[in-house]
Amino acid sequence: MRRIILTFAAAVLVAVGLGGVAVATSGGSTITVPRLDRAVATSFSNVYAQESAIEGHTGITPSSLQAKAMCDRGPNVTQSGPGATWNCLMSWSDPNTPMPPTGYGKFELNVHSNGCFTVGSPSSLIGYQTITDRRGRTVNNPAYEWDSCLDPASDDTPTGTTFPSALTVTSTTVNVTADGTVGVDLACGVGAGGCRGSVAAVTDTGVKLGTVPFTMTEQATTHLKFPTALPAGAKQVTFTATTTTGFAPPSPATLAVQG
Amino acid sequence: MNSAALAVDAEGVVKSFGAVRAVDGITIRVAPGEVYGVLGPNGAGKTTFLRMLFGLIRPDEGTLRVFGRSWDDDGTRVLEGVAGFVEAPRFYPYLTGRQNLVALARLDGGVRPGLIEEVLDTVDLADRADRKVDGYSYGMRQRLGVAAALLREPRLLVLDEPANGLDPAGIRDMRALVKRLADSGLTVLLSSHNMDEVEEICDNVTIMDRGAVAFHGSIADLRAMAPDPGHLLDTTDNAKTLEIAARHQVKTEADESGALHVVGPHDAVSGFVADVVAAQVRLKQFTPTQTPLEALFFMLTNTEAVAR
Amino acid sequence: MSATTAPARGTTPRVRTARAGFSATLGFELRKLRAQWRTRAVLLGALLLPIPVAFAIHAQGNPPKDSLFGRYATTNGFALALLVLGYAGQWVMPLLTAIVAGDIFASEDHHGTWKTILTRSVSRGSFFGAKTVAAMGFAILVLLILSASTIVTSVLVAGHGDLIGLSGQLIPASQAWHLVAMSWLTAIPPTLAFTGLAILLGIWSRSAAVGIAAPVVIGFVLQLVGSMGSAEALRPYLPTSAYEAWHGFLASPSFHGPFVTGLIASAVWAAITLGLSWTLLRRRDITGG
Repeated sequence: MRRIILTFAAAVLVAVGLGGVAVATSGGSTITVPRLDRAVATSFSNVYAQESAIEGHTGITPSSLQAKAMCDRGPNVTQSGPGATWNCLMSWSDPNTPMPPTGYGKFELNVHSNGCFTVGSPSSLIGYQTITDRRGRTVNNPAYEWDSCLDPASDDTPTGTTFPSALTVTSTTVNVTADGTVGVDLACGVGAGGCRGSVAAVTDTGVKLGTVPFTMTEQATTHLKFPTALPAGAKQVTFTATTTTGFAPPSPATLAVQG
Repeated sequence: MNSAALAVDAEGVVKSFGAVRAVDGITIRVAPGEVYGVLGPNGAGKTTFLRMLFGLIRPDEGTLRVFGRSWDDDGTRVLEGVAGFVEAPRFYPYLTGRQNLVALARLDGGVRPGLIEEVLDTVDLADRADRKVDGYSYGMRQRLGVAAALLREPRLLVLDEPANGLDPAGIRDMRALVKRLADSGLTVLLSSHNMDEVEEICDNVTIMDRGAVAFHGSIADLRAMAPDPGHLLDTTDNAKTLEIAARHQVKTEADESGALHVVGPHDAVSGFVADVVAAQVRLKQFTPTQTPLEALFFMLTNTEAVAR
Repeated sequence: MSATTAPARGTTPRVRTARAGFSATLGFELRKLRAQWRTRAVLLGALLLPIPVAFAIHAQGNPPKDSLFGRYATTNGFALALLVLGYAGQWVMPLLTAIVAGDIFASEDHHGTWKTILTRSVSRGSFFGAKTVAAMGFAILVLLILSASTIVTSVLVAGHGDLIGLSGQLIPASQAWHLVAMSWLTAIPPTLAFTGLAILLGIWSRSAAVGIAAPVVIGFVLQLVGSMGSAEALRPYLPTSAYEAWHGFLASPSFHGPFVTGLIASAVWAAITLGLSWTLLRRRDITGG
């Protein structure tokens, strides 16, 4: 019995020791942005070509897609290692499915410590879990979600692929505060460099409420407050965003005044 | 191999377990063909000595040679021509007696055909050889141990308390078996805590006590050293008996119950008892208390006769 | 040699022990292994267990997507076989080898038979070598049976369509057979590392319970260590990671770096555990039994 207890004590000690060494030597992870960029683009090209073939789109091959990805673990964290907060922005060229105005789709990744990861696709571009093949049968969509693994020794030089963050107006109505002014909520999506620019607000009655600048990191939200009070009779406010960094919404947002 | 080499030549062998000196400078020499007893109470270090002989444990000090070979120089070649067991023999319970022997024979590099049947016969296990050892009685395992040793056709047979744990009939059979093997010319090294057993079988003996040698010599020497036999005597008239005792070469002493303890040479005790009977005193009890050798054994090993 | 049980007299020293040596000792160990029900149970389990497992996974309404190849496990036999491989490496394989390796030395303590075998002119080194070879041979045999049974059952249950690999590439069935078989074979080195660990723990604890259970527990702990983000530097050198080396075979282009690292790491683990085992056994005083 004594030996049994000793054995387990020793096992725990070894484990703690290994853990200690691990923490002490923790440094460069083999899971890096350049490797993910390449692995995601490569595996995407393969599954997307399969989807196209199922749907009967001819002429789509993995290489014809020219997929490029930019992966990002999120703000304020080391851009390497396993985690569930990885996103990849990817562009590719398929004459059957034009890219959105931003020029890329956003893919969500769950990266495991063993270097394998699961990719979830944007359904707006890739479709849902099942698709209809040429003969009308419902089949699994290989590009909807897929698994892949990184080669820990693969090329780790940066790919140079960058995509700007997409700026979006997230307010759905205009709320008047006690001092009579209005504001607007903004969100800056995944992308390189965050969002920087200004928003101009004009009422449907033609009164300019002001132009307010903003600076945001990626994956952040902010609230802009306009200096001029909302004049009586205004029923709508139009917010026009312009950016120096980040991708501005292609059309201004016109929101109804609440109350 | 030196044919003149002693079968066992142990000199100044010491082994400690922690603070306990299990064997404290033992010297034992066994000549080829000899039947040698190592006698001692339990815990005297007999088994530890035998384990060292078999290379199961290493001595801290001293030299140990078997047929001129030592563990340091010759490794397992020490055991060539040596067989036996230490403490109760153990076997694989999931194999039958015969399968155990076949497997062990394989370790010996194979045995000549028919030997397995022969040794099973020798230990009287032939009819139960195909039962799993798991179901064997203590005595059967003990006999299988002897069979496993004989399989090696040894020149030196080492048996550690072969009669231990056996019933009276088993003890008788085992002693007869060992005697028969000894008579066939084998060198036998027998460890025992039983003086009778050693006296019956052995030529020479070493008596061990607490790791050290308490006596070393032939059984004849041992007998010569033995004290006079003791008897317990109770009569219809113990007072008169004591008077008669004064005229003989015997020591007489009354115990608390009034019975008499008589110690003296055999002839003197006979004459004394004859006189008691001649004096019209009737004997109520006249029994030997211990044999001389037993008395000597208990004396040498400082153990109490009552322990048995 | 004399013809009776009487003493073998004469001038010719017997040298049979030199000839008995290793192969006789190995034969002795294999004979004992064959006679033990646990050995047969493990072999039978390796052969039959994949059948209900394959059927159970195949019958799932929702495929086990959280595990690698789980996504297609219900529709593709190759994916099913690889999913089972992923699970088996986590604890089944360490357990299967430990059942024999953790017991092969400790059972001599349990039965008190060290003295029985070590008093027969066979050296401790011979026994150590024979038992180690027997345990490792058994581990390989069990793995081969488990692999063959799993692959065949999986393909029979879930079909042999083209497999989607770990770079999203389509692998034709003809190639998939080969890759799946290779993947299963990569489990041999880490399993032998666990065999070494089980031998060490069995010798050290002299208890079959420790020899069998502790390697499995340690396997879990090592996996936990490997899954900690902060332990990434250590990860490639754990035997548990070598169980995942096959991932590279299923990628396109395929990569073998983790396999080579795992092979070296497993060899080092086996060498260290066996070295320690021999150190413990070589000088041990056999006082029990």
